Amino acid sequence: MITLGLILKEIRHRKVNFLLSLLAVVTAVALLISFFAASKASERETARLMLSMGFNVHIVSKDININDFLLTGLADRTMPEEYIEKLASQQAISYNHLLASLQKKISWRGLEVILTGLASEVCSPDSKKSPISYQIEPGNLYVGYRVAQTLGLKDGDTVEIEGKTLKVAKCLAESGSADDIRIQCNLRDAQDILKLPGQISEIRAVDCLCFAPTDNPADVLRKEIGSLLPQAHVFHTQTIASARAKTRQMVGNLFAVILPLVVIACGVSVGVLAITNVRDRQQEIGIMRALGYGSGQITSLFLGKAVVIGLLGTAVGFLVGTALAMKFGPDIFKITAKAMIKPELSLLMISLVVAPLFVAVASFIPAMIAVTYDPAVTLREE
Amino acid sequence: MVVLEDVEKTYHTHGGIVKALRDVNLHIEKGRFTVLCGPSGSGKTTLLMTIAAMLRPTKGRVCVNQNDLYKMSIADRARFRAGNIGFIFQMFHLIPYLNVIENVNLAGGVAGRSRNTAQARDLLRQLGLEGRVFHKPAQLSAGEKQRVAIARAMFNRPKIILADEPTGNLDPENAASVIEYLSEFHRSGGTVILATHQLQAEKLANQVIYLRDGGIERHD
Repeated sequence: MITLGLILKEIRHRKVNFLLSLLAVVTAVALLISFFAASKASERETARLMLSMGFNVHIVSKDININDFLLTGLADRTMPEEYIEKLASQQAISYNHLLASLQKKISWRGLEVILTGLASEVCSPDSKKSPISYQIEPGNLYVGYRVAQTLGLKDGDTVEIEGKTLKVAKCLAESGSADDIRIQCNLRDAQDILKLPGQISEIRAVDCLCFAPTDNPADVLRKEIGSLLPQAHVFHTQTIASARAKTRQMVGNLFAVILPLVVIACGVSVGVLAITNVRDRQQEIGIMRALGYGSGQITSLFLGKAVVIGLLGTAVGFLVGTALAMKFGPDIFKITAKAMIKPELSLLMISLVVAPLFVAVASFIPAMIAVTYDPAVTLREE
Repeated sequence: MVVLEDVEKTYHTHGGIVKALRDVNLHIEKGRFTVLCGPSGSGKTTLLMTIAAMLRPTKGRVCVNQNDLYKMSIADRARFRAGNIGFIFQMFHLIPYLNVIENVNLAGGVAGRSRNTAQARDLLRQLGLEGRVFHKPAQLSAGEKQRVAIARAMFNRPKIILADEPTGNLDPENAASVIEYLSEFHRSGGTVILATHQLQAEKLANQVIYLRDGGIERHD
């Protein structure tokens, strides 16, 4: 009789033991899956929120007046647009979301405004990311709140800047920052308006959030970027970076505490139930020994059962965990977009391998106990 | 042939050292029907387990068909047991979640042997269990359970059957039929070693061995 047949028949016979073992695995897998699924969504959400705080790496020409730049946020020198391609072509780097811009304070219709031309965001080949900034189509203009209010502009208006006609695509909401006096257009349009073809004044980026606590991110970035662009200067905004690091650390700490506890609890439960199962089956093991079954065959009965429990527990746990994450995740992790939690199939694949292995490991000692049962002793016990 | 030379089995218990077998020397010829007699605790079961390659003696040598059992590896002993020895217990020891034919076939599940349902059915028919093939042990009477255990013990066509009080839980009628099945196995050339109190079995035996306190008291 094949081992699987024996395993399935035994499972049907000792349903309670099986169901309790399954429950332990389902609980552990469901908690892990729900935690991972929700926290992955939370991570995406955190990243989105953090990114909305702005770019925290600024690359400007080395020739700028640094005091003026720090004072106004505007670089008074430009640099070649190719710099961004150089940065974007690198692999294994500590920055991403590269955004080239050309900015200059101009006078327009009697107002002092900041004209900002934005290129499309680019990423390095090994780090494709969804853009975090908006893309402005050529010919379109985004107008800051105060500018729109002062000049009475509204969406759909056509305006002219230094002889270039642009359509007001969006009047932005009040931000309480320099953005309120900013007018933004496509980089090409800005280069035309400012007569600076092929030039940019700044490259903005976001650091990779991957620094170790002992790293000085500014040093790492300067080393990486400095070797590529010796004519550039790199600024790293510490407050934003540190807020990001702290948030990630908090999520990491939460995982570090909860996950081992869940895994240990599951392992102990499965192990105890497996020992109970072995004790219940002493005579069965004894008779199999008496019939000539070897240690490998006896072990395979117990480890095989563990794998069955692990596989089934993972499948059920994945469904339960995903459902839990979708229902309670938004409350626990304060995720604004419910749609960000979705079944994580990669987790299912990992769990289908890891959980049966884990259950088998937890059942290993009981299986070894089973193998060492002396049939001469067990078959005498009546 | 079964040969035991100076066999001793000692257990270390909380109450001290217990000698379950002491200086047992025994020769059982092939094809003999041997009965082991003796009061409870005299060492009958220990002796059967030792002959069955399931219990290593503390001292001495156990040979079955010229094989020194305890010089073999555990795996080789298991294979030897599967191919040569059938064991019948007082408590039947059927697997509760397998039906009758699956219990019998279990003996065929040992490495290197394939499942043979036809052979199992034939055995069950010979033992009058053709109507019980798909019943679970819980649905059988004690006599039927023991007959299933006999079928299982005979499934691999063993050369020796060791039976430990196989009639201890049976009524006289079923006990007689079990002894008759063993006798039939013996008549077909098999070796039977039976531990029992049944006088009826002693009558059928070629050889009766009386055990007391782990030692052989006398041979008849």
